[in-house]
Amino acid sequence: MRQQRLGYLALPLLMTAAFTTQARADGETIAVFTKNQTNPYFQTVRVGADVAAKALNAKTLHYIPTKPDSIPEQLSQIEDVVVKRPSAIVFIPVDYKAMGPGVEKINDAKIPVVNITDRSASGNFVSFVGADDYSLGLETARYLLKTLGGKGNIVIIEGVKGSLTNVDRVRGFNDALKENPGAKLLASQPGNYQRLQALQVMENLMQSNPQIDGVLAANDAMAVGAIEALEGANRTAQVIGINGTKEAVDAIKSGKLLASGDYNGFTQGCLGTMMAIRNLRDQPVIKEIVLKPTVITKDNYKPFDVPLEQRTCPSFEEAAKLGSK
Amino acid sequence: MPEAAVVSQPNLLQRIPGVAIVLGALIVLFGAIAPGFLSAANLSNVLVQSTILTMLALPMTLIIMTEGLDLSMGAVLTLTSLCVAIVSLATKSMLLGLGAGVLVGAIFGAANGWLVAVLGIPPFVATLGTLGVAQGLSLIVSDGQSVVGIPHSVRDIYSATLLGVPVPIVLALASYAAFHGLLYHTRFGTYIFALGGNREALRYAGLSPSRLLIAVYALGGIMAGVAGLLMTARMNSGHPTAGLGLEFDAIAAVAVGGTSFERGNGWLLGTVLGVIAVGVLRNGLNLISLPSSVQVASVGLLVIAALFLDGLRSRS
Amino acid sequence: MTDITKDTASTAGSFVSRDTIQLFYRLLAALLICAALSLLSNSFLSVGNILNVLRQASLTFFIASGLTLVVLTAGLDLSVGANVALSACFAGTVIHQTGSPALGVLAGLVCGGIVGLLNGIMVTALRIPSFIATYGMLWVLNGLTYWYMAGDTIHGFPAGFRQIGSGYLLGLPIPVYLLLIFLAIGTLFAQRTIWGQEIYAIGANPVAARLSGIPVAKRLLLVYAVSGTMAGLASIIFLSRLNSAEADIGESLTLPAIAAVLIGGTSLFGGVGTVFGTFVGALILTLVLNGMNLLSVNANWQPLVTGIIVVLAVWLDMKARGRTQ
Repeated sequence: MRQQRLGYLALPLLMTAAFTTQARADGETIAVFTKNQTNPYFQTVRVGADVAAKALNAKTLHYIPTKPDSIPEQLSQIEDVVVKRPSAIVFIPVDYKAMGPGVEKINDAKIPVVNITDRSASGNFVSFVGADDYSLGLETARYLLKTLGGKGNIVIIEGVKGSLTNVDRVRGFNDALKENPGAKLLASQPGNYQRLQALQVMENLMQSNPQIDGVLAANDAMAVGAIEALEGANRTAQVIGINGTKEAVDAIKSGKLLASGDYNGFTQGCLGTMMAIRNLRDQPVIKEIVLKPTVITKDNYKPFDVPLEQRTCPSFEEAAKLGSK
Repeated sequence: MPEAAVVSQPNLLQRIPGVAIVLGALIVLFGAIAPGFLSAANLSNVLVQSTILTMLALPMTLIIMTEGLDLSMGAVLTLTSLCVAIVSLATKSMLLGLGAGVLVGAIFGAANGWLVAVLGIPPFVATLGTLGVAQGLSLIVSDGQSVVGIPHSVRDIYSATLLGVPVPIVLALASYAAFHGLLYHTRFGTYIFALGGNREALRYAGLSPSRLLIAVYALGGIMAGVAGLLMTARMNSGHPTAGLGLEFDAIAAVAVGGTSFERGNGWLLGTVLGVIAVGVLRNGLNLISLPSSVQVASVGLLVIAALFLDGLRSRS
Repeated sequence: MTDITKDTASTAGSFVSRDTIQLFYRLLAALLICAALSLLSNSFLSVGNILNVLRQASLTFFIASGLTLVVLTAGLDLSVGANVALSACFAGTVIHQTGSPALGVLAGLVCGGIVGLLNGIMVTALRIPSFIATYGMLWVLNGLTYWYMAGDTIHGFPAGFRQIGSGYLLGLPIPVYLLLIFLAIGTLFAQRTIWGQEIYAIGANPVAARLSGIPVAKRLLLVYAVSGTMAGLASIIFLSRLNSAEADIGESLTLPAIAAVLIGGTSLFGGVGTVFGTFVGALILTLVLNGMNLLSVNANWQPLVTGIIVVLAVWLDMKARGRTQ
């Protein structure tokens, strides 16, 4: 009899134990900060974060400035979020230098925070997950130059002046050019990461340069804009972009775009969120993941052609192999 | 048709208008559904977040009362914020930085006033031009990069408190008091009303509308300079695009607050309430985690609703 | 914004007037810029570049032409850029869903027109000043577009549709034909129809216009609806030229359109200005930007130069008219 009674106790005890540990480990709220609502790259980050959270039984809340890339607004959103106290924060700073005070506020409030994409110039982070824009620029440019046989007339279409990604990517482009003395840089003009601007810049560049063999664009939107300009003028050139957006993958499939550097927003979002959640659950985290550059080309585009919602996040063990440290 | 200038505060009953209704409704709404909204920390945040815009909206009220407009304020703010950063970095002095910002702001303000008053260029066009110049200078001076490493004395302005009240709020209150006194209790204030409603009267009185207009626009520039200090303090850096577009928010706040574009009437308190209403809206929406796209649309709806309510009342 | 001292007896219905002289001076200015550029850069005067400039100017012109009518009534439409973005995204979706470019074009025009009509209703029935009404509309449209697009891009349209924006007919880009057509329609409408004359009258003196029996509200609805529809047209050109649409394409379109209207000589006080002037204004703006690209001028200088030109143009205009405040 006694054993039976104990037996009856065991089940509820076990279940209570299970529920309490679950209540502690699940249902965390992760606040995800991205720069704007319009750039498809940040959408991939958000989807990645959502997928990771769902898989780990947590939930995400997204904070995006109503004015794209607005520094004061992101600062205000941080202040508002600190009042709300999410369990943890995954953070892309609108500006890697100017958001310092904001990160400090998060640190002071003792909310754990993971930094992704743009490496913040200051602040304490549980982890950093990002891509190496310099290597992406370098590798993608190297691929184009290799395809051209190391020589030809090249133009660079830059992104937004002063943005960290732009500075590093263009530096990568330029270093790749230095490795190929047969390649000549004709011009380097900003397209502001915008399609229309890149198209018009390309149109104008084609007027002053009758022979352009290669175009290094700092992002996919500008690369596609340049391609439209080329097609409109019945000229051809090899074009590369960076980001690995769906549009770029389609263009690579059809042969219009030579290659795109995979900026991997989905992976950054999901790994960053994973680290944040693991940190909350006292599980080991990886302090720094710098994703190795992957150049998407006609030969390897298949895994990148999968729609975002169907992609899976790398596991923790895989993540450890993905980046340095 | 110009009306005779009215040199008195609008009847309070006539002024429980669009903005107060909207603000009251928002506070009640978010107090009920947004956890943490009514906490002291949060309310303090909202007020502090509104200070920079307030410092732009106050002089904007005066400018709009003179049937003018200043589209350059956001760009000038950005430039003065950069000046504060660069000068305080070089001289290690917050005060010198502030001085530089105010000086640059005053120059642009006076330039605006000169273009409008002396050359007769419509304010929209004149300030659109100075917007471009200020924006261009910001980019050129900084080459698109943030300016960092500024002394702590600048940074502390934003986070320090005076008798428990955050310094930005103190500055905003002081500005409000100054403008209120200026507009309603000095002769200069009556001239501003006259600039909007009855310029001939000024000329008959032997005064120069041109000089007064230049002074009004210069005031806008000076406030942009002070706000520049706050902005740099907030970001702990100077950034070449940080303040762009704020002039539209300021203009919207002035309009939401009840100042008309056409009648030369102005209500400073309404402007401040307008600024706070937008701040409360943004804050509340963040607290209830409404999707950002809905937040964007809400701001537009708020502005339209406030003006609509105002229009209803002034017709009845 | 009204000004008692303005010249009311000028514009409607008469071709050889002070306005024609102003237009002549503006054309002269444009030609001078062309001359300067052809001296400074030997790629300027090529057929290809001139056609590029005309095509680039056409996008600004389509938006600015409708805007001209609004400004003629002493109003303003700040929502045009956001309207282009929403209409482009909507039209793009329709083409993808139905496979019919014709339906897409219709969708873009109708979407733009409805937005314009809503603006008009706010200004006439709700008595909201046009500055604020269209500013509020701008935010609402952005919110709608951001929500609808969710960070995505719509891309990939049938070749036939893309001819509208990138195709050529007898050596001229198709948008240039459209530009000429709408220039003619706009000018004839404004100068030669009763409705056009009524619009000028409303801008010159709204009270007198109402007293003389002009249905002011209806005409205002018309001008805002036209402004919106032209934004819809611009969205089709954009979509077919760039083969894609995103939520933020409108950000950079509004200010140049307003600048074109102002440089073209249309007064913000209403009652003065022409559609042809707006065309020249758009042309001057595009020439300057084209020149800066060809001469590789640092992009940091662009806003500065644009701002100075706007002020200069309006000032010269006022000196010529002998009008001061």
